[in-house]
Amino acid sequence: MLDIINLHAEVEGKKILQGLNLKINKGEIHSIMGPNGSGKSTLASILAGKEDYEVTDGDIIYNGESILELAPDERAQQGIFLAFQYPIEIPGVSNGYFLKEALNSINEARGKPVLKPVEFGKLIKEKIKKLKMDDSFLKRSLNEGFSGGEKKRNEILQMAILDPIFSVLDETDSGLDIDALQIVADGVNSLRGPEKAFLVITHYQRLLDYIVPDFVHVLVNGKIVKSGDKGLALELESKGYSWLEG
Amino acid sequence: MDKFAARLVKSFNDKDLGTHDLDWVAKYRSDAINLVGNLGIPKLSDEDWRFTNLKDFASKDFSTFSGNEATFKKPKLPDHISSIDGFFIYTHNGILVSDSDYPFSFSKIKDSFDTPEIKETLYSQVSDKNKDFFYELSSAFIEDGIFLKVDKDIKIDKPIVIINSFDSEANLKFINSRNIFYFEDSSSAEIIEYSVSNSDNEYFWNKTTNVYVGNNSKVEHLLIENGSKSSFIFSNLKIIQERDSHFTTNSILCGGSLIRNNVHPMLNGEGCYSNILGLYLSIKEQLMDNYMFVEHLKENCGSRQLYKGLLDDSSRGVFHGRILVHEEAQQTNAYQTNRNLLLSDSAQVDTKPQLEIYADDVKCSHGATIGQIDKDALMYLQARGINKKKALAMLIRAFTDEVVEPIDSEKILDVFHNVVNDWFSRSKIMN
Repeated sequence: MLDIINLHAEVEGKKILQGLNLKINKGEIHSIMGPNGSGKSTLASILAGKEDYEVTDGDIIYNGESILELAPDERAQQGIFLAFQYPIEIPGVSNGYFLKEALNSINEARGKPVLKPVEFGKLIKEKIKKLKMDDSFLKRSLNEGFSGGEKKRNEILQMAILDPIFSVLDETDSGLDIDALQIVADGVNSLRGPEKAFLVITHYQRLLDYIVPDFVHVLVNGKIVKSGDKGLALELESKGYSWLEG
Repeated sequence: MDKFAARLVKSFNDKDLGTHDLDWVAKYRSDAINLVGNLGIPKLSDEDWRFTNLKDFASKDFSTFSGNEATFKKPKLPDHISSIDGFFIYTHNGILVSDSDYPFSFSKIKDSFDTPEIKETLYSQVSDKNKDFFYELSSAFIEDGIFLKVDKDIKIDKPIVIINSFDSEANLKFINSRNIFYFEDSSSAEIIEYSVSNSDNEYFWNKTTNVYVGNNSKVEHLLIENGSKSSFIFSNLKIIQERDSHFTTNSILCGGSLIRNNVHPMLNGEGCYSNILGLYLSIKEQLMDNYMFVEHLKENCGSRQLYKGLLDDSSRGVFHGRILVHEEAQQTNAYQTNRNLLLSDSAQVDTKPQLEIYADDVKCSHGATIGQIDKDALMYLQARGINKKKALAMLIRAFTDEVVEPIDSEKILDVFHNVVNDWFSRSKIMN
């Protein structure tokens, strides 16, 4: 599904990714761990198409085609979803309106019918309930004044509604208590399927107790230096990263 | 006396405006033209004009104009204006050309000088010791314009739509419009003013409206300035509010090469509320100078100023927000906010609050921001599949909508959104 080939990228002239290779197949969950500044969030931003990053070499192939020239909205329409590490607050745009516009855009791009207001209302109520969120949230401005946990739950809600094919979770677990973590993990797990894939970026092994990955990769200085199964995450938890940094 | 003022004094004398059958009219005009001569055209050294240089404007020779009703043709209006279900009134190069039977009265001001409300309104300048050149100029040339009156206890159930149209006859002319809108006690109305020019005419439109809002009355006013891109527009809106009245004015400025937009509500009775809202949308070399002066004269009143600017190209915006709370005006709540989005690197805005408070038990606040489209917000919306144009439109809508939050009238809201969308769809950032 996704093939990252020898990816080099920099931001403001600073080299961040230096030859990253990663292949993700349908149905798989991959996790990327790594010390601060290793390039984890850069990778997430580049996958989503954030414009501040410059890819200097390599390619990202998604379902057989390079996505490097696609705008962020085109990538989203093709089923790529990034759960942001720091979701943006947008005063004056309500959550409900935003979700409706987003879903309509994606449905339209996929040639699916645009939902009628009643159908949309039903869909959203069901998902909100699953994520234990309050109805009043729809009327509030997008992420404005949300607690850290609410913001992360909102990312998962968006994911549940937009039904992406390939999802990147950028430190979605940071700042969550154990209850909130469980809700978020349940949300992700319910979206798993043989046609879907996930890339879970995290600092903490505990998330991987709830979202069990098929592969764990360690990113150091913009390269994957070690790959393994979930056992690697446990090893990192006890030994840290220094033994890999050399 | 400067040349510009001298020319105006000469036209005043040529037109013999200092003589009138009614002594008070003659005196009112004569007093005003004396002040025009004495004040002279404002200069940058004048604190109230420090951001707006009138030198180029003052070097032009605008001749005075005696209108021509016969050449009036109904202007081409955008659908969102022509489709309003309202009471339409037309002016043509400043001259009232409509005469319809509506549930309120309206007439040319020069035909109505014997109506007591006119003299009463013009002379009841409850405060205002500062004299303004353009206001005095409007008083000196008071002749063309509309006197509009809504009677006591009457609710006008459809918007009153005033279309001010200009054509090539207005080119290089000084057009003086002096309106009085008089709302008797417990009346209510919505007024939409729209100005339009059939081509790029260079006119000097000096427009002053005195509004009297009687006890317990409610008035919502929307002004859309969409005239010629080469015109010079000096707009003065002075409002006297009596007890328990509620007045909302919202200015959307798009047209004009130079606009000076003065709004001056005087809260002259207890329990009044005044909303002073505005949105300036500037492109190219436009200069939009907004001068707000909110005057609290009595107890227990509230006011809210909210002005927002979207500035593209090398346009400039000015916001000057003055609040004056007189000693008697205890328990005043007065708020002021000015927010600006610069859509290009060469756009510029100057913003200046000015609070003068002589009462000791009041709540006043002010705040100003200048920013750009939030790239992270744009990215966030796009990352959810929303295309860039739509995402930009959502962010702009979120920015501009705050300006209409206090407005109740759905018709006014519709018109507002259509005007903003229309402007924005033509802006550089969307193309």
